[in-house]
Amino acid sequence: MTKTLRTPVPKIKRKKLSRLARREELQGYLFILPWLVGLFGITLFPMLFSLYGSFTDYDVTSRMNIVGLRNYVTLFTNDPLFWKSLYNTLYYVALMVPLTTIGSILLALMLNERIAGMRVFRTIYYLPAVLSGVGVYFLWIQLLNPSTGLINTLLGWIGIAGPAWLSDPMWTKPAIIMMKMWSVGGGMLLYLASLQGVPAQLYESAKLDGASAFRRFWHITLPMISPVIFFDVVTSFIGGFQIFQEGYVMTDSGNGGPMGSLLFYNLYMWNQAFKLFNMGYAMAMAWVLFVIVLILTLINLRMSKRWVYYEGGED
Amino acid sequence: MRKKSLFYAFSLLSISFILILTACTPQSRSASGTPTAVSGESEKVTLDFWTFWGSETRRPIIEKIIEDFNQSQDRITVKHTYLPFGDIWTKNLASIAAGNPADVIINDYADVNLRASKNQNTDLSTYLAENNIENRFYPELWKNVLYEDKAYALPFNTDTRLLYYNKKAFQEAGLDPEQPPQTWAELEEYAQKLDKKSANGYDQVGFYPLWGDFGVDSWLINGDNGNGYFNENNEAVINTPDKAYTLTWLKSWQDRLGKQTVDAMKADFGSGVSDPFISGKVAMYIQTGTYNTQIQEFGQDLDIGVAQIPEREAGSGHFSSGGGFVVEIPKGAKHPDEAWEFINYLTDVDAQKYWAIKNFDNVANIEAAEDPEANENAIYKASVDNLADTKVFQVPLSASGYKDLINPHMDAVFLGQETPEQALAAAEKDVQALIEKNK
Repeated sequence: MTKTLRTPVPKIKRKKLSRLARREELQGYLFILPWLVGLFGITLFPMLFSLYGSFTDYDVTSRMNIVGLRNYVTLFTNDPLFWKSLYNTLYYVALMVPLTTIGSILLALMLNERIAGMRVFRTIYYLPAVLSGVGVYFLWIQLLNPSTGLINTLLGWIGIAGPAWLSDPMWTKPAIIMMKMWSVGGGMLLYLASLQGVPAQLYESAKLDGASAFRRFWHITLPMISPVIFFDVVTSFIGGFQIFQEGYVMTDSGNGGPMGSLLFYNLYMWNQAFKLFNMGYAMAMAWVLFVIVLILTLINLRMSKRWVYYEGGED
Repeated sequence: MRKKSLFYAFSLLSISFILILTACTPQSRSASGTPTAVSGESEKVTLDFWTFWGSETRRPIIEKIIEDFNQSQDRITVKHTYLPFGDIWTKNLASIAAGNPADVIINDYADVNLRASKNQNTDLSTYLAENNIENRFYPELWKNVLYEDKAYALPFNTDTRLLYYNKKAFQEAGLDPEQPPQTWAELEEYAQKLDKKSANGYDQVGFYPLWGDFGVDSWLINGDNGNGYFNENNEAVINTPDKAYTLTWLKSWQDRLGKQTVDAMKADFGSGVSDPFISGKVAMYIQTGTYNTQIQEFGQDLDIGVAQIPEREAGSGHFSSGGGFVVEIPKGAKHPDEAWEFINYLTDVDAQKYWAIKNFDNVANIEAAEDPEANENAIYKASVDNLADTKVFQVPLSASGYKDLINPHMDAVFLGQETPEQALAAAEKDVQALIEKNK
């Protein structure tokens, strides 16, 4: 009875690798080595370092003492600018993500029509997505000029006195969001591709059943492109939280604009790190943002089960 | 066998790590701060000098100064490295952290103490003990290079703000072009006479205090007897009756012209020919001394005069505000002795005089600043004279970053969301909380 408590597990004998196979294996590792170095050296190591640094008073040049949770406690209990910058960023993300998503879907729908010269239109609408960087912000500073800018001139034609976009704290963030709407071409391209992949027979049979254009859009188009919508929402969510340049370039010396209304989270973090040398504190801010984005993305993933339709099933 | 290839992979990985790490490791330097080069006196030392002066005007000037230094002796060669203004100080931070900084760098007055407290620049007191050159500088500037009573930088240049006015506009308005306004009351009176209104708004605004280069901070110094936001004990003294009076006065200008006019006109201001003063949109304008070079370039036919910033009332003081740049030796620089020799030269009369004459920029060396040759230029002379009333403030370490707390309240006043008293009280409370937190 007590003979065999342990049944001997039969040893799975791995086939001995031939010289060639070994060589190939080694070569494989060599080929991915640059990526591994990148992952460990440039991504993982700095991340772990910043996690460690966030529990210290690190200032880059003179000290790095462990201070426990002090940075985190100060952030949440004793830093009005942390909350302000978080609010500014959330405000921006909350409006920018839905607006650019809806904007690029509408644009893609329009550009999916079959009319003459569509390629030209597609190019025109896609172009702004190619332009980026500081030049665009300077262009927009001119467009948003309250008296001579194009935006307010256009608004003036329909009898609206446009606001002082970049000097009225109520309008600074909407102005930036409007600027982002200008470059929805990138998202549009994704939607256009997926719109063209929707099988025509679905529309045909719906038409035969007498479905209106709106119903066809609601019951066929939207579900069929929902994976792309999901992808777009998640990536612009994450991208939205990274907003920095706009606040830095479009305000006087990156001071956060009128009443600090463009002091975005990353701008404040940058100030803490490189102007005040509170690097440990800035690292703690980075991790707080990381956790916020992580949670929101997980919520997004969870919610996606309710509305994203995968033709080939979940897996 | 598999284990073996994994071993290979990991050893390769670790080798590459080691390579990366050694590339980042600070090169050895001696603890005493003296150069590690042991190859003897004959070896020529090369110093790397970082500036952000890359413009057509300034680059040749600083390079000539460097060239003169290189010619003057045969032990040290200085190499000029130009870095854009937006990059230079972050690069400096990174290179100090990496242990491989520049030998000499141009940096800002405002944060000498902050950098000193963070071990980013070199204590110059041993050099100054041998060769005390403190007296060559304006005392107001010298205060700003000190941290715990030791100097960590030498003042290089500075600036000051003056009231520029358009003499032709004065004549048209029936004002004496040789009698610029002296007090706030006169300033207002003159400004209203100089306003030119038409159906679509203003063709010419006489004056608006916050256009130009004299912000709320500067006006609060001017209106509060030359006091900044902090007293000698580094306590925040923001909510004072004189500051409240000044802020109320500033707001009254906006109320008179209308916020929309102010915002809309300001958004149109550019530089060069579209500069508001040069293009005649504004008749009186506060700017630094070097602004005159822009007028000469873009507005040759402008007949201008300069005056001190008007005082709150007769006798209260024509206080102006200033800033500028220092030269310092980043911590960990390999040749501090030679670097000291170079910055000593940079702040000495000859180099400073050359800088002043070529740039009409205010220099920190008193003898050079007051040199008769440069002072033949009336506006440059006015700017030198103005230094006596110019305030340059060091930010207390415990209040680093205070401006992000004050500015929103000042903005709120001009948006009509807070009264001057509320704004100053709230700003003082916020800054006190910051100081308390940083203690």
